[in-house]
Amino acid sequence: MTDISDFDAPKPPAWFGAAIPLLIVLLGAGFYWFITTDKDNGESEDTSNSKINLSGRLSPGQTYYIFASEVEVYPTNLKNESWDQGKKGPDIRYRLFWKGNAVFESITKDDSLIADWSGLSIELNWKDLLGKSVSSDDAIKAGRIRFEEGEKIEIAVEDVDIASDDDVGRHEIEMDKLSIGKNEFKLKKTASSAIRKITLRVLPVGSNIEDLANIMK
Amino acid sequence: MNVTRFLIAVSSLLLGLGLIAPTLTIYPQAGDLTWIIKIIAPEELAVSTYSILGVIQKLFQTGDIFLAVVLAMFSVFSPVLKLSFYWHATGLKDSKKFNSILQRIHYVGKFSMAEVFALALIIVVIKSFPGGSTAELEWGAYIFTFSVICSMLVSFRLDSKKR
Repeated sequence: MTDISDFDAPKPPAWFGAAIPLLIVLLGAGFYWFITTDKDNGESEDTSNSKINLSGRLSPGQTYYIFASEVEVYPTNLKNESWDQGKKGPDIRYRLFWKGNAVFESITKDDSLIADWSGLSIELNWKDLLGKSVSSDDAIKAGRIRFEEGEKIEIAVEDVDIASDDDVGRHEIEMDKLSIGKNEFKLKKTASSAIRKITLRVLPVGSNIEDLANIMK
Repeated sequence: MNVTRFLIAVSSLLLGLGLIAPTLTIYPQAGDLTWIIKIIAPEELAVSTYSILGVIQKLFQTGDIFLAVVLAMFSVFSPVLKLSFYWHATGLKDSKKFNSILQRIHYVGKFSMAEVFALALIIVVIKSFPGGSTAELEWGAYIFTFSVICSMLVSFRLDSKKR
């Protein structure tokens, strides 16, 4: 039986030890990679819980920007006559009512059966170029409405005339039926409404301008 | 383990962390038009954080092979090689071999720390950009610096043992 002592065992080459720093470097890098991979997963779970919801139904207590991105009216008014005596199309403007108060009034879109609003109002003036900063609140042209269950909003559409504004119609919307993003309502003509279609956009207040811009697309 | 080898091990560990940890964060801005760029092309103003290895990878991806190779040589291979020489030197008993290794270490050492200069250059360049873009050093840069300091301490200790 042979007995190999330490004295007889083959010794590693002298440069072998030089690989130790390289192994420690790899160990350090691997350790950091390991702990950050775990941490990143944890963080992403946390942020998804605390993040403002950018899709789906509205959350009670949360405030939302609400605006009509498009309003289409029937070719004839409530008296079944052409708009503006057939000379021009209606000059459409809408107002949003919440709790009996007008919380937003749009600009007027002239001579349109289909009026559209972007919700973003960015007017490039010289003063903007010279350093005026514009926040999302300044840039978004919409009503700010807090959602509570059973809450309703009303949209009133008018044909703006120099003499007197004519009603186009009003439509009440249950907020429970709204979802974040685009909401379309197709309506039939009645004795009190000549609104054909309303497209509402709902955006959560407090989300960043990038998310808001994506929802508005 | 003697003190010198302990310092080499610490320096190696910090080097490994410093290479992969966040080193530089760039905050792009477009001056007075920042707000409109945020709406039209928000990806252009995304905040980016890089590690040293991340910068090298990015340079490779963008086709800047020369810069990537230079940075990899100076910030990865040269420090690792230097630490390997240090470790090897601490085990030598032959004074002739020891002095020869020390000479090689001083030669390799001239190529280290170039990444610190590169980081400083990037920050100076970005801070001089119009539009208020800024760059900030992250904790990885400090870890890397501590690794370099440990490595310098090792160098002083070995120099004092020069025969």
